[in-house]
Amino acid sequence: MTRILGRNGFALAILAVLLAANLMMNPARFHPAAWGTLLGMAAPLIGAALASTPVILAGRGGIDISVGPVMGLVGAVVIKLLFLGAGISSPFLLWPAALAIGAAIGAFNGFMAVVVRVQPIVATLGTYLILGGVTLTILPAPVGPAPDWLKAMAGGWSFLPLGLIALSWCALTRLPFHGQLMAVGSDDRAAYTAGVNVSLVRFLAYVLTGLLAGAAGMMLTALIGSADPKVGANYTLIAIAAVALGGVSLAGGRGGLLGAAIGAIDIFLLQSLLTTLNVSTYVLQVAYGAILVTAVVLIALQDRHAERSPA
Amino acid sequence: MTLRRDAMSIRILGAFGVALALHAIGTALIPGYSAPFAIRAMLVIAALLAVASVGQTLVVILGGIDLSIPFVIGFANVVAAQLYGQGWHFALVCVVVFGLAGLIGALNGALSRGLNIHPLIVTLGVGMIVQGLVLIWTKGFPSGSAPKAVSAFVSIGGHFGPLPVPALIPALVVLTLLILLVLERTPYGRQLYALGANPGAAPYALIRPLRIWTVTFAISALFAALAGVLLLGFTGSAYGDVGQPYLFQTIAAVVVGGAALVGGRGSFVGTLAGVLVLTEINTLLIGLNFAPASVQAAFGAIILLLVSLYGRERHFRTTV
Amino acid sequence: MPDMMNILDLTLKPGAAPFSTGLRAGEILGLAGLDGHGQEVFLRRLAGLERSAGGLEMQGRAINAARDAERNGVVYVPRDRRSTGIFPGLSILDNFAIATAGRDRRGVFISTRARRARYDRWKERLKIVAPSPEAPITALSGGNQQKVLLARALARDPKVLLLNDPTRGVDVATRHVLYDLFRDLAAEGMALVILSSEIEEILVLCDRVLVFRDHAMAAEMSGAAMQTGSVIAAMFGRAA
Repeated sequence: MTRILGRNGFALAILAVLLAANLMMNPARFHPAAWGTLLGMAAPLIGAALASTPVILAGRGGIDISVGPVMGLVGAVVIKLLFLGAGISSPFLLWPAALAIGAAIGAFNGFMAVVVRVQPIVATLGTYLILGGVTLTILPAPVGPAPDWLKAMAGGWSFLPLGLIALSWCALTRLPFHGQLMAVGSDDRAAYTAGVNVSLVRFLAYVLTGLLAGAAGMMLTALIGSADPKVGANYTLIAIAAVALGGVSLAGGRGGLLGAAIGAIDIFLLQSLLTTLNVSTYVLQVAYGAILVTAVVLIALQDRHAERSPA
Repeated sequence: MTLRRDAMSIRILGAFGVALALHAIGTALIPGYSAPFAIRAMLVIAALLAVASVGQTLVVILGGIDLSIPFVIGFANVVAAQLYGQGWHFALVCVVVFGLAGLIGALNGALSRGLNIHPLIVTLGVGMIVQGLVLIWTKGFPSGSAPKAVSAFVSIGGHFGPLPVPALIPALVVLTLLILLVLERTPYGRQLYALGANPGAAPYALIRPLRIWTVTFAISALFAALAGVLLLGFTGSAYGDVGQPYLFQTIAAVVVGGAALVGGRGSFVGTLAGVLVLTEINTLLIGLNFAPASVQAAFGAIILLLVSLYGRERHFRTTV
Repeated sequence: MPDMMNILDLTLKPGAAPFSTGLRAGEILGLAGLDGHGQEVFLRRLAGLERSAGGLEMQGRAINAARDAERNGVVYVPRDRRSTGIFPGLSILDNFAIATAGRDRRGVFISTRARRARYDRWKERLKIVAPSPEAPITALSGGNQQKVLLARALARDPKVLLLNDPTRGVDVATRHVLYDLFRDLAAEGMALVILSSEIEEILVLCDRVLVFRDHAMAAEMSGAAMQTGSVIAAMFGRAA
């Protein structure tokens, strides 16, 4: 348990500091009554970070850089084609549609990475480019609005999808799949020799990533209240940064969704603090980079220390 | 049994073949595709991508990845223009730009290897810092320009002696030979491949991983900076995001050229083949009047197709 | 024979008993013990790859780090060929020359002729059976891979050669080639330390054996005292 806390330790410490700073600098914005809104604003980034995690956990270079474009495509299809085009407005149709799009793309990525055996970063780069192009073709310019129920999810109701993801993940960690995923991520040869179906586990990790990316796409659409072809792709790299910040090892097998979520919240709090301080976006960028590098360096130093003194 | 080597050569030849086939398709479908000016333009664009991909090739042979290349390109592009615009001597500008770039790269390599952090994260973070600092310094509005000599060096209409191409093209040929010599015939080159092939065995064979990572990432940043300065000459004015298209293109070029992202495999000739393939695809799709969005989608699909045809990894079971 | 190495009050693990011994030029020293009882730590300590309390010096110069070992001609050949030995995908020639690549340099670049000549000398001496030096190392049998790795180590002109289970996964014919080679090297004045999981091998090859138990030297035997029974007894912590 201390290990898990330890890996998240820096992300948690940064979280505490940033939260305190935000509370001091901007008490109105961070008033408890506004926490729902804040959560809604942070939700797309949290979702993107959660989505990026499973494939990274699965190891051997596993990464999905198409998470951002999936989010963009989900918005385009759900709003432009299904809601405005076909007049479908029921959440019980639109949510499954979004998740199905995500899962299908995840399955495609998994097929390319696991069965065709293209290096994951290249496979998902291909998907990244294809999805970006398809999204722009469906949706050359932003359109809106989103259905009212979806816009309402930009506030406190954003707790619903995030909470469901958290619950599902908790359930998943109790299934053999989670153990297999971590085993495959930390040493696939050993896992294979122990009888784990490594290819299947990796493939499912991609599907899971796609599924979560679909959900993140809905949260993004809820937040901006419309569909915008350009915003999705921006989430890819920042989400991976959030994952690393949250102590998930890019070598696989170490970390979890909780860390990724904390990492994403850190980045969100940093954003909002610097916005409050009214600094330019340039300073924001330097701060992102600096926090990311500092955090991974500190985590690495901690790991190294832990290895030296196994007690 | 020289199977591995032959497989590598086949990949590279295959990539050149694909580039040629694409060119033939373009010539058949698009009037003027093989016109001298069009070919010169393609060569220059390909050469700029090739310069930007030198570092990615070396880093990938090492088993790493460098996401800071586009940021360093933008950094060099803006800083060189700004300083030269302020009246600095261009030689001094180069010393500052390349010196700083080398330091940025060395930091990338040293942090990644020294602390065993995935280079993807380190280079991304460092790249973001570098870009942010440049933006702060120029307040987002870079100014200045390149010396005429640099512009002439990369100009599509330029000549090199009797050759109807700018000096960039023969310079790239010389650079390619030099890189081949360094990779094949220097201790550094052999150690680079060895370290990429089996990092676990390297320390027992007197290879210093930290030193090689630091040097290699520094070289990568130096070539990214060179690409940034050349792009300044090519476009005429500074633009901080000029390197962005190069982020994924350098990776795609290296992979299409047959290098394995797990390290130990790859060559700059292969990367050149990959660069030609990417340039042909881009030119072809634009020439066929595809909308930019469709160009991007088709680009992605073709990369996937090519890599699934001949860029496949070994099954992990064969490594058990 | 002059002393090559002096080992004084070495402690392989906190709490383990310290011990002292030495290594003479021209000597073949065997290391035995049940797996994980410190013999491997000791061997790696001699190479400067492990830290420990106590002193290790070679002809008056302390060896505390891999750099010290390297400077003093102490060369370590690791046990696991696949994960810490060969560079898969690289040629036999590269695998041989990688640790001494600078020696083939004529001016800036490596002379392929010089490298080839150097390899051919060792190929002959070690009786390496290889189709072509340009072939990938993985094309060779385990025994021949091991010979290439030994050639890589010997090319560094070691004064002390540390071998971690050098005949593991090697066929019988090759073993005898290696045994002869080790004896020749010792006769030329090199000191060899051989960790082996096979007691017979140590008895056949070594002048002296150190038996390890609980990260300490449990017994030191040489000459007629070196018997299978006594070595096994020491390994299991029983009096012979």
